[in-house]
Amino acid sequence: MQTLDRIKDLAIKELSLDPAKIDPNAPLADLGVDSLTFIEFMFKIEDEFGVKVSDEDLRNIKCLADLERHVAASLQAAAKA
Amino acid sequence: MPGRRVAVTGIGIVSALGNNLQEFYRSLAGARSGVRRLPDEVTLGSGVQVGALADWDPAAHFKGPEAGALDRVAQFALVAASQALSASGLDLAAVDRERVGVYWGTGMGGAHTLEGAFKSVYGKNDFRLRPLSVVMAMNNAAGSNVAVKWGLRGPFANFSTACSSSAMAIGEAMQVIRSGRADAVIAGGSEALLTPGILAAWQALRTLAPMDAGDATASCKPFDKRRGGLVLGEGAAVLLLEEESLARARGATILAFITGYGNTCDAAHMSKPDRDGQVRAMRQALTESGLQPEAIGYINAHGTATIVGDVVECEAIREVFGDSNVPVSSTKSMHGHLLGGAGALEMAAALMPFSEGILPPTANLEQPDPACAVRHVPMKSERIEVPRAVMSNSFAFGGSNVVLIAEKG
Repeated sequence: MQTLDRIKDLAIKELSLDPAKIDPNAPLADLGVDSLTFIEFMFKIEDEFGVKVSDEDLRNIKCLADLERHVAASLQAAAKA
Repeated sequence: MPGRRVAVTGIGIVSALGNNLQEFYRSLAGARSGVRRLPDEVTLGSGVQVGALADWDPAAHFKGPEAGALDRVAQFALVAASQALSASGLDLAAVDRERVGVYWGTGMGGAHTLEGAFKSVYGKNDFRLRPLSVVMAMNNAAGSNVAVKWGLRGPFANFSTACSSSAMAIGEAMQVIRSGRADAVIAGGSEALLTPGILAAWQALRTLAPMDAGDATASCKPFDKRRGGLVLGEGAAVLLLEEESLARARGATILAFITGYGNTCDAAHMSKPDRDGQVRAMRQALTESGLQPEAIGYINAHGTATIVGDVVECEAIREVFGDSNVPVSSTKSMHGHLLGGAGALEMAAALMPFSEGILPPTANLEQPDPACAVRHVPMKSERIEVPRAVMSNSFAFGGSNVVLIAEKG
């Protein structure tokens, strides 16, 4: 499964997002995800993909597409290392 | 406001004896113990052998990520409160929710969350904790989650007086309804602290019963010569309390009235029980209810099965009740000691004679200790005439004594 699909599936499960309305470019705040819930979600992402999301990264992640770019970059960096 | 009586119109239960009132009563009637050998992952190196775990699957009660944002103690609270509300038939949409409160009791609050955080910090040197750690672990989280879930904006209180916490919540809830400041209160308590770290702390106190060599379920033996201490349990219990006239106006079934509440402090010792404090609490509750000791047809004892505690309580009961021969039992022998949740769970057990005409027994009481000379209900439940009133005792570390009296509905 593609990274974005995995993130979407996790978001549907963990954030109770409506699969029909999920928009990777919509700000998560607009989807009703508060900041604490979002941080909790990052922990799940870290577990799922084996990547780290730093507090600095967090500030730049506003939507699921941002998250996908971060995860993909982290995985790529890990593969090179 | 004098004259306001406080009715019990719904009960909710999460316990090792079942996760609803009917199952709980069936287990008590059958003297079935929920005490088991604890799994290794719960005890680790603590040395604790037995406990009374609730049969719990969060996914059966909470959707998606909901459960992950709730400590086990709050999960129990929400499920028990939901049962009580639904049993009462109270339509929250039809009442002013600024007149409905939550009064809760818990000893340790979100113990699992706190221990999980410490495990991460000290065990893995990982200081990046879950952001909900504080609001999941704080002592008032269970009650607050109940208020949030149903939008109950009336009086709120959270009592933490160890083993008397939820009995105090019920007593104080009765007072707040009587005073006219609330019409209904979800009153109860929950506890969920069977974690390796907390078990180790309890083990260090040397008050826990060892596992019975022949039968783990029989490890807790209140009032018995062979008793070796208490067995920790977990769960929640809720009584939905309502002002009588409003309950009657909506045609609610009134299970009982809470009419007496005694609250005293030993002010003597942190862990040693004190007969005088217990006697004063029982007398206070009797005075408030306006009942003579003879009117009490059953006492659900604190009865933890510690060597000293059981003797002191029986002496206190004899001092208050003389030769009245009131039946006494400790249901902790079956559901374990719920600490902050104990008072509410045992009040629910104490109400059993009203609806079922049955006295719940003290399981495993084969050889009564002559020093615990009260009229026991040993080994098996007993059928009785429905009594006029019942009493439930909760005596806590720290010296807090709470006694509740309920009269039949």
